[in-house]
Amino acid sequence: MVKNTLLIKALRDMRKSKAQFISIFVMAVLAVSIVTGLDCIWKTIQVKSEQMYFATNFSDIWITVPNPSEKEMRAVSRISGVARAEKRFTANADADLEGAPVLKVYTVSDQRTLDVPMLQEGRLRSNGGAVLDADFARQRGLKTGDRISIKLNNKWMSFTIEGLAYSSEQINLSKGSAGAMPNHYNFGFIFIREDAVKGAYGINVYNQICVKLLPGADLRQVQLEIDRAIGDKLIGMTAREDTSSGNSVRAFIQQFKTLSAVFPLIFFLVTALITQSTMIRLVEKQRGEIGVLKALGYSKNSILWHYTSYGLYIGLLGAAAGLLIGPRLFGGILVPRLTLNFSDYALSINYVNFVFSLILILLCTGGVSFYACYRLLNETPAVLLRDKPPKEGGRIFLERFSGIWNRMRFSSKLIARNTVKNRMRLIMSVLGITGCAGLVVGAFGLNNMISGISRQVYGGIYLYEQKIILDGKADSRWVHNMRLDAVVQEIKETSMEIICPDGTRVMKPMTVVTDYSPLVALKDEAGRPVQLSDGGIAVTRKLAETLKLRLGDSIQIKRSNNSYVSVTVDRIFHMPASQGMFMKDTLYEAIGETFTPSAVLLKWNGQRDEEFLKSDPVKESVDVKVQIANMDSLTNVVLIAATMMILMGAILAFVVLYNSSILNYTERIRDLATLRVLGFYQREIRALVLTENIISVLLGMVFGVPLGKALLDVVAGTLDDRMDLIGRITLGNVLISGCITLAFALVVNVFVAKKMKNLDMLDALKSVE
Amino acid sequence: MSFITFKDITREYHVGDSVIKAVDGISFSLERGTFNVVLGQSGAGKTTVLNLIGGMDSPTGGSIVVDGQEISKLNQQGLTEYRRNKIGFVFQFYNLVPNLTVLENVQLAQEICRCPLDPREVITKVGLEHRMSNFPSQLSGGEQQRVSIARALAKNPHILLCDEPTGALDSETGSMVLKLIQDVARDLGKTVIIVTHNVIIAEMAENVIHMRDGKIKEIVRNPSPKKAEEIRW
Repeated sequence: MVKNTLLIKALRDMRKSKAQFISIFVMAVLAVSIVTGLDCIWKTIQVKSEQMYFATNFSDIWITVPNPSEKEMRAVSRISGVARAEKRFTANADADLEGAPVLKVYTVSDQRTLDVPMLQEGRLRSNGGAVLDADFARQRGLKTGDRISIKLNNKWMSFTIEGLAYSSEQINLSKGSAGAMPNHYNFGFIFIREDAVKGAYGINVYNQICVKLLPGADLRQVQLEIDRAIGDKLIGMTAREDTSSGNSVRAFIQQFKTLSAVFPLIFFLVTALITQSTMIRLVEKQRGEIGVLKALGYSKNSILWHYTSYGLYIGLLGAAAGLLIGPRLFGGILVPRLTLNFSDYALSINYVNFVFSLILILLCTGGVSFYACYRLLNETPAVLLRDKPPKEGGRIFLERFSGIWNRMRFSSKLIARNTVKNRMRLIMSVLGITGCAGLVVGAFGLNNMISGISRQVYGGIYLYEQKIILDGKADSRWVHNMRLDAVVQEIKETSMEIICPDGTRVMKPMTVVTDYSPLVALKDEAGRPVQLSDGGIAVTRKLAETLKLRLGDSIQIKRSNNSYVSVTVDRIFHMPASQGMFMKDTLYEAIGETFTPSAVLLKWNGQRDEEFLKSDPVKESVDVKVQIANMDSLTNVVLIAATMMILMGAILAFVVLYNSSILNYTERIRDLATLRVLGFYQREIRALVLTENIISVLLGMVFGVPLGKALLDVVAGTLDDRMDLIGRITLGNVLISGCITLAFALVVNVFVAKKMKNLDMLDALKSVE
Repeated sequence: MSFITFKDITREYHVGDSVIKAVDGISFSLERGTFNVVLGQSGAGKTTVLNLIGGMDSPTGGSIVVDGQEISKLNQQGLTEYRRNKIGFVFQFYNLVPNLTVLENVQLAQEICRCPLDPREVITKVGLEHRMSNFPSQLSGGEQQRVSIARALAKNPHILLCDEPTGALDSETGSMVLKLIQDVARDLGKTVIIVTHNVIIAEMAENVIHMRDGKIKEIVRNPSPKKAEEIRW
């Protein structure tokens, strides 16, 4: 019974201050939904990829080696930490379909357990059958039972599609060449039986060893042992994390972990702040009621619980709504755009973090309410029942300058004193707006940081129009003989194993460029040109940071004859997208390698030379526009996430402004009513209240910019290992965020002005709170 | 023609479906420079009358003419203008702005009207010259009410409206406040209307309007009103 009456009171109180409670609710919803939303994205990726890895018995290392012998297989199997090693054949093959799409061929056999397809329908039954990429089949309108032909070793071989599947190796489509990014129309994969390959080559051929490690095995140690075991025959070795799929899966998880760790924090802090000022106000307004309850004999605990429950109910409701909305909104919009190929996009919710955010939001609402009430409870009922002595008006610092003070109008004086007197409230609303402005500024910064990458790389560093991938057989002389009417630059893009001074052994991309380099212009962070030297290599800034390399350090480079040579790192440059190393062709030749271009960069003077583009050594040509589009499509998701956060930050800003304006208004309703009775015009009174709002908006904006910058820096540093991002906040960002916030302030002011218009002077004057 | 004329004034409030007539068809007129009391129990409609004269409320029927101006026809803006220049208010709970000093509270009123009195002089007149730079919270109730009167007077209004001006004060302080109102009104030639339920205060008035249930029970003309210091309650 007791609880019921108090519950009724709680509900009625909330209805009376519904604007405030709705804003707290909205903030709780925002905070929880942004956490659960951003979390569900990486959680979904993690769960889906792990499911796929498990279902396909996904390997940890792939060793590229031509026809491994039984002895080599045994040697690899025996390495400590290796659970299983199996050999297979894989290659790119043309398919007999419109537009000559490329299919990545993987072989399987009855003995094979590793890297099997994740079947969606059917299964591989015969040597004449194949399991086809489910997404590719959908794009091409192929069904099980249809036939498809592929060209292996220049022989066309026909297969019946017996099943459709997904592959852990193609979660992110990867063709394995540096050309245009594949899509489901022009690229897919196909699983065939080992014995079917015999038809093309005459014998069983293998070119890869799949290695599954035991849990807890040391990857690097195993790689070293493999290197030793295979020796000269080793062509390459890729760990799961270094594959395109493993890499993007990890990168996306990291990106969204970063976003979900940084941005929601602000939402929680702002919610706590606003709840605090609302509850303190509510509880202080209810001094008398608290006194009555105490006088009636209610225990301290039940009164505390009563007021705490206000915040708890709202927090719980908000968290529940956030859990419902967040994953659907963020996950629903972003997960399908991730360019990851999962069989379905069912969202997984990270309940651990949900519970964590629930606790946090309950602290921000309930905990803060508890605190607001607790402060009053130690007073005796008698003291509480008496009116609270009005807050003493005090002199403020500005008054010492009587020259200025005396010339001020009373309204300015009133604003000045009010601001100083209610500095807690001012600080609260300034902090609230700082948080929102920081969010919006930071998200805008994130937006232009990410969207600028492709332009920085293509157009800033790479100045070509078209990149021609060569087959590796054509040399510089051939390129020269083509006499192209274009600015031409040859480059060689390869991977090299390096050993860092601290012993770290990694494979990293190496780009070899010619001395005459009109189409590649490396730059440092400030945008100043970086010239390659003859005697050393250049390393990207981010790579240098991760490998702990400094200018002047010596690193070991593995040559193609498997011996190592020492080179000096004498340049560090900034590359926003992929991290790696650059060296001059002269140095490359000096360490005993031969420079054959892997690609030609072109900037046509006039017409494109179609004959050249069709010539045999040209494997592929990529337009820079396509590369820009490809890069943009990778960062697209983060951009959408940034936009969503701008929106959410804006909503938050609106709620904060609304709440603090309403508080500012209701707290002074008596003063305002007095002014109205005295004959002040609406606009004069409005100016009084609204000036204070504008002051807090402006201050909030000023502090918001560095906060946004700080947020951006954290995000820039952890968003993606492959990218070297420099967070910059432009004047434009600040202006736009400023305009948004000011526009909101104006809208809120209209609301408040409307409320003011309906202010019942008489009521306000009669009641003495 | 009278200074203030009420003709068939009705003020209805809609509360849910029911209609409450706070003032029900009343008519009276008051002369310039007189000291008047509207007397009645709570709920009699006396505060409504005060609000109507003060331009804080508009009648639902009838017409009010003050100083030749039909204020019952004014819109919000017009009423604000009217309050600004013609009316001085004294409230039961003083309603001083806690953030402003005594002097500033008076300047607050003086700043907005056309021909104000000098704030310092007015404060001296209410006997608070030594309290000029104090904040309201540092004053006693009686002192606060005197500031409130000074604030009302500083606007140099035609009419001084007081709503239970002694309601929150003890009897001695109350009569001092009343004396102040009576004295300055006489000195400055202001028309005073006090709303109260206190019958004794009515003895000070030249005209006493007795109200009950929204109607005027009677209007008593008092040819020899008492001085404030003569009454006690």
